[in-house]
Amino acid sequence: MIPAEFNYEVADSVDHALSLLAGYGPEAKLLAGGHSLIPMMKLRFARPSALVDIGRIAALSYVEQDDGHIRIGAGTRHHDVHHSPLIEAGCPLLSFTAGLIGDPQVRHKGTIGGSVAHGDPASDLPTVLLALDAEFVLTGSGGATRVVPASDFFKGFFETAIGPEEILTEIRVPKLGASSGWSYLKFSRRAQDWAIVGVAAIVERSNGGIGSARVALTNMGATPLRASSVEQALAGAERDAIPAAAAMAPEGTSPTSDTNAGANYRRHLADVLVGRAVEEALGGP
Amino acid sequence: MTSVTMQPEGVAPARPTVVAGFTVNAASVRLTLDPRESLLDVLRERLGLSGTKKGCDQGQCGACTVHLDGRRVVSCLTPAVQVDGQAVVTIEGVVAPDGTLHPLQQAFIDHDALQCGYCTPGQVMSGLACIAEGHTTSDDEIREYMSGNLCRCGAYVGIVAAIREVADRAEA
Amino acid sequence: MTTLSRTVGAPVNRVEGKAKVTGEARYAAEFPLTRLAYGWVVQATIARGRVLSVEEEAGMRMPGVLAVITHGNAPRLQVVDDGELLVLQDEQVHYRGQTVALVVASTLEQARAAADALRVSYAAEPHDVLLSADHPRLYAPDHVNPNYPTDTLTGDVEAGMARAEVTVDETYSTPAEHNNPMEPHSSTAQWDGDRLTVYDSNQGATRVHQQLAQVFGLDRSTVRVLSEHVGGGFGSKGSARPQTVLAAMAARMLDRPVRVTLSRQQQFSMVGYRTPTIQRVRLGADRSGRLAALDHEVFEQTSTLYEFAEQTALFSRVMYATPNLRTRHRLVALDVPTPRWMRAPGEAPGSFALESAMDELAEACAVDPIELRVRNDAAVEPEGGRPFSSRNLVACLSEGASRFGWADRDPRPATRRDGRWLIGTGVAASTYPARSAPSTASVSAEANGAFVVRVTAADIGTGARTALTQVAADELGVPLERVDVRIGDSDYGPAMIAGGSMGMASWSWAVVKACRQLRADIDEHGGVPDGGLVARADTADDIAAQANLARHGFGAQFAEVRVDVDTGEIRVPRLLGVFAVGRIINAKTARSQLIGGMTWGLSMALFEESVMDAEFGDYLNHDLAGYHVAANADVQGIDVSWLDEHDDQLNPLGVKGIGEIGIVGTAAAIANAVYHATGHRQRHLPIRPDRVLSP
Repeated sequence: MIPAEFNYEVADSVDHALSLLAGYGPEAKLLAGGHSLIPMMKLRFARPSALVDIGRIAALSYVEQDDGHIRIGAGTRHHDVHHSPLIEAGCPLLSFTAGLIGDPQVRHKGTIGGSVAHGDPASDLPTVLLALDAEFVLTGSGGATRVVPASDFFKGFFETAIGPEEILTEIRVPKLGASSGWSYLKFSRRAQDWAIVGVAAIVERSNGGIGSARVALTNMGATPLRASSVEQALAGAERDAIPAAAAMAPEGTSPTSDTNAGANYRRHLADVLVGRAVEEALGGP
Repeated sequence: MTSVTMQPEGVAPARPTVVAGFTVNAASVRLTLDPRESLLDVLRERLGLSGTKKGCDQGQCGACTVHLDGRRVVSCLTPAVQVDGQAVVTIEGVVAPDGTLHPLQQAFIDHDALQCGYCTPGQVMSGLACIAEGHTTSDDEIREYMSGNLCRCGAYVGIVAAIREVADRAEA
Repeated sequence: MTTLSRTVGAPVNRVEGKAKVTGEARYAAEFPLTRLAYGWVVQATIARGRVLSVEEEAGMRMPGVLAVITHGNAPRLQVVDDGELLVLQDEQVHYRGQTVALVVASTLEQARAAADALRVSYAAEPHDVLLSADHPRLYAPDHVNPNYPTDTLTGDVEAGMARAEVTVDETYSTPAEHNNPMEPHSSTAQWDGDRLTVYDSNQGATRVHQQLAQVFGLDRSTVRVLSEHVGGGFGSKGSARPQTVLAAMAARMLDRPVRVTLSRQQQFSMVGYRTPTIQRVRLGADRSGRLAALDHEVFEQTSTLYEFAEQTALFSRVMYATPNLRTRHRLVALDVPTPRWMRAPGEAPGSFALESAMDELAEACAVDPIELRVRNDAAVEPEGGRPFSSRNLVACLSEGASRFGWADRDPRPATRRDGRWLIGTGVAASTYPARSAPSTASVSAEANGAFVVRVTAADIGTGARTALTQVAADELGVPLERVDVRIGDSDYGPAMIAGGSMGMASWSWAVVKACRQLRADIDEHGGVPDGGLVARADTADDIAAQANLARHGFGAQFAEVRVDVDTGEIRVPRLLGVFAVGRIINAKTARSQLIGGMTWGLSMALFEESVMDAEFGDYLNHDLAGYHVAANADVQGIDVSWLDEHDDQLNPLGVKGIGEIGIVGTAAAIANAVYHATGHRQRHLPIRPDRVLSP
């Protein structure tokens, strides 16, 4: 299909990328794995004047940990997130979900930062990171950084808190403790498709019941959404409270209708999948 | 008919080009590229390596799967300029120099894991990676990790059998 | 010459297998030519109206552009009946996506950029793109594809229905579906004076070469079409498509080779699709399920450029004995692309309706659905009364029942559950015509002991090349290695296309006849002379002399499904098909063909649906992300087997053709299994999860 014309620049550092971005102005775009951007360019939904390739900045690809967090370089590929022993140990929900994105070929090129920065409400990782209360490190010119919590990051349909002269450089994820159970359920009509609806759930178990729960939804609105009513209903509750809590999942959502499913069916799925995800996260009796 | 011959041959592209060097099946290539050129189009139209197929050109079918620094990727979504400094392996690089087929290629023939053959190079490249990645512990896992490669003829049953045979042999 | 052990029937590996797994096999777009230029199609962005202007001059100023071809400067073509081939002949727009210009440039990137930049202005008119059963412009076409009567009537259906003790009267629908072969339609044309050579992706080089000769007003002998390897077609490459004419037109205007390859998106409007259908089926029966009447009425669409009338109710003319049988087709010409053949045109959608209705009748009569079909088995063809050359539907059903484990089936719906999964099983019957068409072939005995078969067959993935090699080897009494079958070249002489499940029956007839002639010639010469020997065969007279019989393959399809009780997700852990399709030439490639057809049936049942945007007059989901075809993980267990069927009233080898029957009935078997699992009837395809829950 072939994109419209563009200039191509290779950035060898984050600072270099920022200066290239500044030079080209707002029509330039960052290129990481390219698996969200290139298809849109081929269809002429995006016509950037220039692509600044940050895919070769080795310093953006890492997985490290400190006491409470796992820190993931924005350029880390989905395949490597999926297979990282550190993430597997500290936040298995994230490594599991990274293995569900697209197909294996996508996962070898696509990056965690690219997925987050793209802000697609049908993506799996943003939902999981929202449920995990992840933080996003944005780097501006001169190396100035600011940290934005996931709850403030996703602003609208394909819209995030990243400023025009900033680059998402790191994702920080709090480690899950031994008392945490988790689940991500992705429903699609056909293997390897986008989620019609997805649900991430993290349950802090307490004496066989639910201490607290964090629940987030994929493709139920313009951004990934926290299911706050569900979370409130589950706080300090027993297992038998799950169905009634799950029934609140559609509250505050605004799902679309498309050729795969209508909005009502998406609301129904959110209910069903939240119930199942919380059950799975809580673990079997 | 009058307007047909107005443009002379070989008009220079309007935009700056980019020089990229990489290897394809271990051979070095150095090309002056239009940034719009996909790795897929460079392989097919400029390097004469038409074994890599264009099914959708949109990352939705897997027919253009190649290995880039050892990873399976779709070459249609890979701008060729991005491949600078990397190693590309295509279906033409899988067969041994003396023409001996890779065991997976032979297994595809034996299990009739192909019909029209158009998705086949991509299936083989993806299948090789599926085995190398260790995603062959069950038929269900093979199916899941091969679902980035569509086959419209419906040869999935044979494709799974071929990958299973080679993966089992590698383990034995 | 000694006769060796026969290879016909053996599971021989594909002879071109190595070329395909190594990437050496070249498809239409893969022949390097010097000075090759690339064409990119510019498509109409209105569904009906006129092109007012194309800014050709601006297009010509784009980098690398060699030509902008429009109706204003395109050469005039000879009028042919397929209006889709008369590209760029006038300013009329008949559907959104129709060709309004071709941009030719030195590189693909330049062609695409200039096509994108080309400004076209239109005078749009209101369009009409939606099929309905009460559309005011419905009409009865002269015939349905390819040449069957539009309507048939035996007995008195209303009287039969009135007498019936049990009736079913339901409406079923199937959506528009797109073929989507993996290889895009592509043509590369080169002229040498008045001689035209085209590397083309098609299902029959003979037909494309005839069509090109017609539209360009050339002698057929000056046109050569080459199609050695073809990446699937499924009907969409059965005859020339617009890109073939565009490539030849541009190559002539520029006096250099031009390649036109359609993008995946362009294929959703330019190369055909299966018409949506609305089908009303009425069945009347006595309490034991014996049919007193069958009425099958079909509503479907065509375009305003070319009439294509899918033979959807043909299935009902073949399947079940009844004294009162009526079938009708009504068509409406809409402002849409022309629907065409898609794997098992007619039988695929038609079987969904009738085989679903039979399941409803079985339940209404409290008769097992297999027993119902056995009770209504036909001794002669229900419409017209011709005797069958062979009919083994009942044997397929009983063999399938035993293999599938049908005997203990509890017919009550919605009673089997495994955790959150509801489980059900279903059955449906299949049929497809077993026809042959005239073809020619030649076989030469070379001095070096090799035999070369030349036939303008197409191997679109069917295994035809391999099967013909087996056929020739057996006829000549030599090992496979000594036979070289060359196909896909119109210079080899006229032959049937790979379509209608007629390819193998037609080509093998010509090959057998040529081989037998060659053996006789060799005997006469006392061996192969130094200069070799050639024998040619033409089967036109043989086919004209065939007895007037009903010739069909039959089959039985079984499905097991699991339906998630809350989400409506459907999984198909088991499909089984048992077929009676005459002689199987190659057990390995035949199995693949039948499994492939059943995979299509599963995909049709659950996924495939082209959704028309009424406002823009375009199919919304026009790529492989939006148009779902089954992926690897959607397909679980599929098994096939066939009966050892001998039918000497078909063709020399007793071949019935297997390309289409695998898809026939599959969707109904799955829909019937979903009913058995859930208690909800599925009368509209695809069976989407949301429809399972709220039918």
